[in-house]
Amino acid sequence: MAILEVRNLKKSFEDTEVIHDISFTMDEGETVTIIGSSGSGKTTLLRCLNFLETPDSGVIKVKDDILFDSDVPESMSEEAIRRKRLHFGLVFQSFNLFPQYTALENITLAPSLLAKEDTSIDASSIEENAKELLEKMGLSDRMGNYPHELSGGQQQRVAIARALALHPDILCFDEPTSALDPELTGEVLRVIKELAKQHTTMIIVTHEMSFAHDVSDKIIFMDKGVIAEEGTPEEVIDNPGNERTIQFLANYKNGK
Amino acid sequence: MFLTVTLTLLEGFLQTIKLFVLTLLFSLPLGLIISFGSMSKVQAIKVPVRFVIWVIRGTPLMLQLLVIYYGPGIIFNANVWGSGDGGRFVAALVAFVINYSCYFSEIYRGGIQSIPVGQYEAGQVLGMTKHQIFFKVVLLQVIKRIVPPISNEIITLVKDTSLARVIAVYEIIWEGQSFIKSAGIIWPLFYTGVFYLLFSGLLTLLFGRIERKLSYFR
Repeated sequence: MAILEVRNLKKSFEDTEVIHDISFTMDEGETVTIIGSSGSGKTTLLRCLNFLETPDSGVIKVKDDILFDSDVPESMSEEAIRRKRLHFGLVFQSFNLFPQYTALENITLAPSLLAKEDTSIDASSIEENAKELLEKMGLSDRMGNYPHELSGGQQQRVAIARALALHPDILCFDEPTSALDPELTGEVLRVIKELAKQHTTMIIVTHEMSFAHDVSDKIIFMDKGVIAEEGTPEEVIDNPGNERTIQFLANYKNGK
Repeated sequence: MFLTVTLTLLEGFLQTIKLFVLTLLFSLPLGLIISFGSMSKVQAIKVPVRFVIWVIRGTPLMLQLLVIYYGPGIIFNANVWGSGDGGRFVAALVAFVINYSCYFSEIYRGGIQSIPVGQYEAGQVLGMTKHQIFFKVVLLQVIKRIVPPISNEIITLVKDTSLARVIAVYEIIWEGQSFIKSAGIIWPLFYTGVFYLLFSGLLTLLFGRIERKLSYFR
């Protein structure tokens, strides 16, 4: 069963159409990677899924639950959107940890606030759960550190734990290693690969082609706001059929 | 003589401190409300608020004191400030609160707008409300950034209170000056500087402590 269904999504900024009619589905436990050159609309697509941008038209469904439908304006009230966001988690390129909180507090803040309004959440397990997540990220010895005391790679791993703590149905990554020094990307990619092995449902926007090749069940190549090609890594990266995909991958290899 | 002067000046300085403390008490929160107004997306709020800030920052505080004290009497032909010393003090306080909340509002606005948009977005994707994002995530970062400019403004306020003497609020400079007439000596006026120095020194220590307290994060 498809966990996510996106149908005819469109988004313009002023007069520029950034996303031009995008439709795709993904299954639970899958890792989907979105590749493409800058300005192709990858990040905007992720931001639409997380309701940081409001699509102009289209439908977003998670587990057959309609999260967004441009024909149903009631679905766009602020409170409704806040709840729906929780289906998705988002890891940012620039981490965006909260500087005044320790690594552990960064993870527990949002769940604690949610527990206050929803008594069905067990508040006592929040810290335990956060500690487990940090351990999974290899950061048990960094729990009490503030973000500025951590390396970029460590900060990004805290950010991943923070997103996971809310148990999103789908975890999104927006170029998670683009702001990192090359020697720090490995530790973050390893963590994401580990999550893929455990069948965490993920959508990853990345420029790391070999990583995308290894980790993905499906790759989507975006170009000028449309899905130009999609398929398994073998199909899209090893044997691209679309002229624009071939061009992009060739440029990519030359750049290396 | 020295003791008499010191005691008289202390009495005046008490007025100075009273004006100082009350001004802060009202203008620090009022400034926050004005800053929200000046950042409003609603033009009907934003434009008038920015206009008022322009007028207040663009004219001398001394003139504002005079307009606020004498203005209502001229326009409404009634004394809205009450009679005697108390009335003049209230008028001075109102003028200081309006003036300083406008300055504070601009510092708040700068502080709030300097917080990266990613902080708000991170809060949003974690399901926080706007209210929670402001109070749990943004506010402390804003405070950390505005402590130095606010301290500056507050230390300026200590000395600006002396302007209240134009509407005969008996603060310390007024008292110091009174000795010229009553005893023919000018040194009490110069001596008032010591009180200002000691008080602003105390404040400097306090702000330094707050800055250090907030240095645990960046």
